[in-house]
Amino acid sequence: MELLDEFYNSSQYIETASGNKVSRQSVLCGSQNIVINGKTIVMTGCVIRGDLANVRIGRHCVIGQNAVIRPAFKKFSKGVAFFPLSIGDHVLIEEDSVINAAQVGSFVHIGKNCVIGRRSVLKDCCAIADNTVLPPETIVPPFALFSGSPGKMVQDLPDCTQDLMTDITVSYYQHFKPHGKGK
Amino acid sequence: MATFATVDLVKYLCTCEKKFPICRLYLCKHCLKLRCIDCVQHEVDTPYCPNCLEIMPAQEAKLKKNRCSNCFDCPVCGHTLMTRASGHISPNPEDPNKSVTKKTYYLACGFCRWNTRDINMLDQTVATGNWPMLENPHVKRINNLLENYKLMAQVEKADRERKKYVKRRSHLYLQDKFNLSPSVMKRKGLSSFSSLSLKEGDKTIEDLEPSVPVESFDPLPNDYYTQPAALEKTTKLVHRLSVPEFQPEDVSKLHPINKHLIMKKSLRCRECEHNLSKSDFNPCSIKFKIQLTALHWVPEVRIMTPSTFTYNKETLVTLTMSNPSVFNTTVTLSQIENETDVDYCTAKVELPKKELVLASRDEPSMHVYEDSSQAHEFKDDPKLIVFRKGNKIGFVVKVTPVVPQGDVKICFLLKHEFRNTTVAALQSESKEPEIKWLEHKVYLCLGTI
Repeated sequence: MELLDEFYNSSQYIETASGNKVSRQSVLCGSQNIVINGKTIVMTGCVIRGDLANVRIGRHCVIGQNAVIRPAFKKFSKGVAFFPLSIGDHVLIEEDSVINAAQVGSFVHIGKNCVIGRRSVLKDCCAIADNTVLPPETIVPPFALFSGSPGKMVQDLPDCTQDLMTDITVSYYQHFKPHGKGK
Repeated sequence: MATFATVDLVKYLCTCEKKFPICRLYLCKHCLKLRCIDCVQHEVDTPYCPNCLEIMPAQEAKLKKNRCSNCFDCPVCGHTLMTRASGHISPNPEDPNKSVTKKTYYLACGFCRWNTRDINMLDQTVATGNWPMLENPHVKRINNLLENYKLMAQVEKADRERKKYVKRRSHLYLQDKFNLSPSVMKRKGLSSFSSLSLKEGDKTIEDLEPSVPVESFDPLPNDYYTQPAALEKTTKLVHRLSVPEFQPEDVSKLHPINKHLIMKKSLRCRECEHNLSKSDFNPCSIKFKIQLTALHWVPEVRIMTPSTFTYNKETLVTLTMSNPSVFNTTVTLSQIENETDVDYCTAKVELPKKELVLASRDEPSMHVYEDSSQAHEFKDDPKLIVFRKGNKIGFVVKVTPVVPQGDVKICFLLKHEFRNTTVAALQSESKEPEIKWLEHKVYLCLGTI
């Protein structure tokens, strides 16, 4: 099935020179620490906690409504330290998910209502099914689909996941259109 | 996308008569046939641990029963255990007045909070390795049996070769029955010829003592009926089955489980034995040395928008087709003659009669979005071709459901040009790749009435 057009109110979104579309109703804390590389959509209600540590988000990502992106911390004997969070290219994060990972690779799909535990590492080309809870420090290898609570590997992804994810994020961006412009 | 969009709506028929979404299929460039995961030969490339992502050589993995020696799963919830450090204050052996802090390590689960101190396992002084392993009480018997089976396999093989002197490749796979892979055979000097001279006296099959069948069980103890069941101390079936060799009944007997390895595999066509997929050596890498996924060679059909259907009434359905090839590709669609599978055909379909020409895929211009008017270039019939955008077209088919209710399913034969670029490149550099026509049966589930 091809993706359907999704319309947004153009006054509600800021479009940057590099093509990022960021909702005015999203919360970007510590915006000087947030790098969004281009053509990424940050939807309504998202929270990105750049005040804790650097957050880097690659190109052609989609961050669904009310998702929370929060760099992970680790307790040491002298207080806590936050780790910078990097998210690769062509990553699709759906609604209401909480991302506490240390690293999210490229071509990753995270479903709705997921909790990605502290300091988890999601390698390239992996997927997390809807309503999954990944406990802290989980490592998700490439081409694995994790599901359940605690998240466990349930299936292999096809070899062409990279092409599929590129296609889906690019066409999502193309189908994410402002109202009334008729573009 | 395999997890985001529903890819199961459009399926292609594999050569082995099974239906799969196109992303799960491979196109063998030598046989020019579709192959699916069930009709190819799987080969283990490198076993690796899904947690530490370290490669283990196949031989070592076999010895360690395909488990990682450093990573553990929680016996209760199955999540990977973390190593936790804790400080221990103990008196200094040299100076009794001073004390030293010693770091000790234990394993803990970040999900269900189970830890190795729960089962009174001693803390370790080093962070990795050294964790005590449980010894399987039946290990001697199992080894005896295995040894015996190996000998039997050798004898069987010698017998077979005496009968059939022709060397056939299929033998190599049969030998694996008893854990005797071809490489092991070679190392032992048992190439196909030396095994012929296998002397009977070399090693004879021992007389194993046969297993004793259990005839009767002891009756359940009285406590079982009189005492309340301590459910919080009893393990569940899942916990027992995850360690089949011990099957602990009491929570205090749970033990960290070594993590199962997973593997990188390569796929091989069964007919021509060429590789269809071979991944990179590194477990973290998503690159492939060889990748013949059908998505890169066969035009992909998708449903444009969901439509509503009524019984015996014609509905226009827009489908899209995209061209993965770097050449313009001509495609024709036709009815499948005498389709017998009624389950997969519940509607009449009127297909475009003309040939459809798909523009070539041009990677750099893929991300430019303006609607350049390619329609003139290809002289499209606007009634037939709804839009044309890069390597993708949208075309209309007329669907008339013939069942009063249920899913609307159609099928057709997709015939497309195929230019075998790799073979052409091998033959000569200047020659145009030869055009072949490939046929695939496509099954679509359009929705319900």
